Amino acid sequence: MSNKVAIIASNGGLFDAYKVFNIATAAAASDKEVEIFFTFEGLNLIHKQAMQALSMPEGKEFMAEGFAKANVPSIPELVEMAQELGVKFIACQMTMDIMGLTKEDFIDGIDVGGAVTFLEYAKDASPTLTF
Amino acid sequence: MNSNKVVDAKGLSCPMPIVRTKKAMDTLNTGEVLEVNVTDKGALADFPAWAKAGGHTVLEHTENDGVITFFIQKG
Repeated sequence: MSNKVAIIASNGGLFDAYKVFNIATAAAASDKEVEIFFTFEGLNLIHKQAMQALSMPEGKEFMAEGFAKANVPSIPELVEMAQELGVKFIACQMTMDIMGLTKEDFIDGIDVGGAVTFLEYAKDASPTLTF
Repeated sequence: MNSNKVVDAKGLSCPMPIVRTKKAMDTLNTGEVLEVNVTDKGALADFPAWAKAGGHTVLEHTENDGVITFFIQKG
């Protein structure tokens, strides 16, 4: 049985962030090795400024109240927890080049890599998830 | 039932109860027992699955007034 979980984060909204980081922290807390490849809009989720104010899908703003009521941790809190649990973050070099971003635009402790970096990691991971 | 440590995860939502429990379990020795109190109903399915993944044993679980209590022995 594989002890690795591989995640591709390719969307940049608030819901996407929860989907990615909830699964990632839950896997890491179950003693799995976890790596997340952030590509295209997914880079928002680890961008120093963007991650502080991720947007809700249009028309779903009313759910903000539900988030508060359910006592859900904030995205920056979840990110910190994920890193503390050893989840590895890889930012996609190609997307960074397109968007004119450098490693300094992102939170500390991330790696920058390409598609091959992720594929090499994911080749014996189970499951591999895409968000 | 006696426990070596207690985790209060009441009022927390997924994945926090599991994260807190993992951290507490890391401080125990094999054979010791962790007590976890949660209100997240997802825990009913999550904790047995989490224990199985980590080789731990759920010794007992009770529900009282919306609080779910697990006693988990470290494997």
